[in-house]
Amino acid sequence: MNRTKWGVLIVLCWLVGCQRPYQFAGAPLPVPQPAPDIALESADGPVSLHDFAGQYTFVYFGYRFCPDVCPVTMGKLKQVKADLGNRGDEMAVVMITVDPERDTPEALAEYMGYFDDSFVGLSGDQEVIDAVGKPFGLYYHQHEGSAASGYLIDHTARFFLLDREGNVILSYAHETPLDDLFRDVEYLIKTQ
Amino acid sequence: MKRYLFIVVVLVGLLTLAACSSGSKSEATPITVENVRANMTLPTDTGSFWMLITNNSDTDDALLGAAVDGCGVIELHDMVMENDVMVMRPVAGGQIAIPAGQTVELKPGGLHVMCMQKAAPLALGTKVPIELEFANAGTITVEGEVVEPAMSSGGMNNN
Repeated sequence: MNRTKWGVLIVLCWLVGCQRPYQFAGAPLPVPQPAPDIALESADGPVSLHDFAGQYTFVYFGYRFCPDVCPVTMGKLKQVKADLGNRGDEMAVVMITVDPERDTPEALAEYMGYFDDSFVGLSGDQEVIDAVGKPFGLYYHQHEGSAASGYLIDHTARFFLLDREGNVILSYAHETPLDDLFRDVEYLIKTQ
Repeated sequence: MKRYLFIVVVLVGLLTLAACSSGSKSEATPITVENVRANMTLPTDTGSFWMLITNNSDTDDALLGAAVDGCGVIELHDMVMENDVMVMRPVAGGQIAIPAGQTVELKPGGLHVMCMQKAAPLALGTKVPIELEFANAGTITVEGEVVEPAMSSGGMNNN
């Protein structure tokens, strides 16, 4: 085999077999699960996760009383959207409250609007929240607080990414670095 | 002779000043508080404060509480992740231990001074005086700067 043939072979090998597949920072679900098509309440009326079809949608379960884990997550997602620039509108962010007693749809709209006008806060009856959260493995538990706090809520801090068809495809630990989040979403938007 | 006496007096005076100066410094600052950040921008009833507290003394100390104008109630809280579940509780005994010679970090996702019944959100960059009450060091007033909730000590990219 002459030098040219060797060169062509090496390039072909690199193109076909030697490139590693993209490694997501999020944990891929073995089989993508469709997000439940159950309506919750936003300040503008009923909204289902299926209403975000066409966008990559982050779903988070939290509450407004939470002083930093919830806002830190929202803050990171705000930055991811900003870093996407003119493709930022291909990404949506939804926070579903685990504290419907205190988090009215209107209060959630104000809270989410602090981060980005497009971010959506959803509330509803506890049974409905439980039904929506079940496929995500949502855990939350209300426990007694002080006279001032009333109660505090332990809750799942992982957050999830839905594809454009509304399937849950990835889940992220709270600590996932901003740069890794951005890279995943950018990869999906550019390649899928 | 007079010249030598003058030099000796000046030297003794300088040494005395130096000794007094270093002594008063260590006595005056057994606790130092740095990098104070106020997470107070959100349109909610709560907020939090993060900081680095160093105990420069040989005696254990503890943060017992804090007071901030605009916070109706302040508690000391801890937050931990247990199997991807965020768990927040008031600290055990209502105080944060600051062991002798050590630095304790109050940070996002961990120990923090929790503000409740917040009067109003504060604008980014606002300077907020915070009175910290220590078991041994007494009351120390520091100033925190209002930052984005996602901003840890290293900025958003490090979260």
